Amino acid sequence: MKYLHVILSTLHALLRQTGAALGLGFLALIVLVAVFADLLPLDPLGQDFIRSLEGPSRDYWFGTDELGRDILSRVVFGARTSLVTAAGAVVIAALIGVPMGLIGGFFGGWRDAALMRMVDVMMALPAILFAMTLIAVFGRSQGAALLAVGITGIPGFARIVRAQVMSLRKRDFVIAVEAFGGSAGYNMFRTILPNSLSQILVQVVVLSSVAILLEAALAFLGVGVPPPTPSWGEMLRTGKTYLHEAPYYAVLPGIVLTLTILAFDSIGRGLSRLIENPGETAMQGTLK
Amino acid sequence: MIAFIGRRILQLIPVLLIASIGIWAMLFAVPGGPIGVIVGENATPETIEAARREFGLDRPVAVQYADWLSHAVRGDLGTSIHSREPVFDLIMDRLPATLQLAAAATIVALLLGIPVAMVSAMYPGGWLDRVLSGWSALALGVPTFWLGILLILWFAVDLRWLPSASRHYAIWEDPAQAMRNLILPAITLGVYVSGVLARFLRASLVTEMNADYVRTARSKGLPERSIMRRHVMPNALLPFITIVGLMMASFIGGAVVTEAVFTYPGLGRLLIQAINTRDYPLIQGCIVVILVIYIFINLTVDILYAYVDPRIEYS
Repeated sequence: MKYLHVILSTLHALLRQTGAALGLGFLALIVLVAVFADLLPLDPLGQDFIRSLEGPSRDYWFGTDELGRDILSRVVFGARTSLVTAAGAVVIAALIGVPMGLIGGFFGGWRDAALMRMVDVMMALPAILFAMTLIAVFGRSQGAALLAVGITGIPGFARIVRAQVMSLRKRDFVIAVEAFGGSAGYNMFRTILPNSLSQILVQVVVLSSVAILLEAALAFLGVGVPPPTPSWGEMLRTGKTYLHEAPYYAVLPGIVLTLTILAFDSIGRGLSRLIENPGETAMQGTLK
Repeated sequence: MIAFIGRRILQLIPVLLIASIGIWAMLFAVPGGPIGVIVGENATPETIEAARREFGLDRPVAVQYADWLSHAVRGDLGTSIHSREPVFDLIMDRLPATLQLAAAATIVALLLGIPVAMVSAMYPGGWLDRVLSGWSALALGVPTFWLGILLILWFAVDLRWLPSASRHYAIWEDPAQAMRNLILPAITLGVYVSGVLARFLRASLVTEMNADYVRTARSKGLPERSIMRRHVMPNALLPFITIVGLMMASFIGGAVVTEAVFTYPGLGRLLIQAINTRDYPLIQGCIVVILVIYIFINLTVDILYAYVDPRIEYS
């Protein structure tokens, strides 16, 4: 109940910011369409060779691709690929990165040094190259794309949580729990973690946007989710070879991809603004 | 100073060591292992045994790694499975193209990013600031590959001014062709990097604009523009250097994607081709070279920063 109140009041505060409200609106639309895609009159795999590479029309709002498939249907089902990859990647990154940051920041010393060196190694290569290397090893599949994107997100969580833990570590309420005999595990997960949730939430939103971009970039490079699964990046990749015959093919899916990324960005910026200016929401009052 | 540089290099050793083990061990995680990579999936047991001995895969793994590392350090990155040429030569063939693209994109990024940051910082919170901040958000949010596609549509397909697939011409050999082929990729990559640059430089400038010496300069009656150029900019560039390393990550990643959009024959495309043909020695080679370049740039930035800012103590 306590958390429901926090979520609702945060949403309310976000909706009062124009940019974040627009982002939330667009994202809600994409999520709804992706979830209920099966109920809509869409067919992402059906081929109609006679009508291949047709421009947008009443039958095909976004036109058709080189196999005569409906591009709008593929954009909608591609949203599923994007969102599933992003969600899975964020979960992997948080499940590994958050405990890493908690343990490193809480104990310090050799544990911290070892964990942070691991983070350094993960950051020794730009994320997209790290992901490409992992896919070169695992082979190309949706699971590999999801895992690769997720692993590149670990350092972000680990660093942010570690910084937060180090600033909370010496606060009175943490020391009090220790003095009353609370175990390290209790202190980390029941005392410090709930007080870091707002920072983690911002990172979730930021990473979602990065993950969607990364998934699309991998597909565009031909190493992401394999065909025939619809993916925005893959559509841009194929669309690029038909720029003369069918310019809409690469342009329309690109617009949806860009708007989705911008939506996540604006929500992320809105959330950081809320954290920087307490008083705009009950989020701070309840969790800090 | 020398001690500081030495310590920074020492700190790099564990990172480089673990990363090199990771890159080397890649082969063992591939289905079929390093043998499968060399002889293919349908090899007879005799061929496999012969290959094991020929490539020294029957030795202890630690020896194999030490052997690989000692060769890699000397620039011997093995032979490409696909083209049978030395990996090092293949990479050196492509590196100039990527460096030229990076240089051109840096110029675009500076030309776009610095004025945007300066103007926003002079009127923080104003409408111009908000418009320009929107611009940097857009530059960061629009996927590089989609921007590249849009530029090809306008300038190559519609207007037919520039080629849609860029080839590499060394700028000192054929400047006109080099420019024609570089403009679109450089803008694509440069716009993205300018977004990162503008956002951080603006933050850095706004902090400096509130400093006491700026108030003094204003009370002397100096015009706002010369305060910005003469006094604020040099000070704001200092904290800014630290994010150059961060920019490099987006730069290298962006370069791989940009090269793919324009089928530009650089290192990034070589890596993608290597992944698609499962040419593991070439994949390892590309990753090693990129890793070394990336780490070397970050190290240079650190040292430069310590050198420029006298307040940093080397101990």
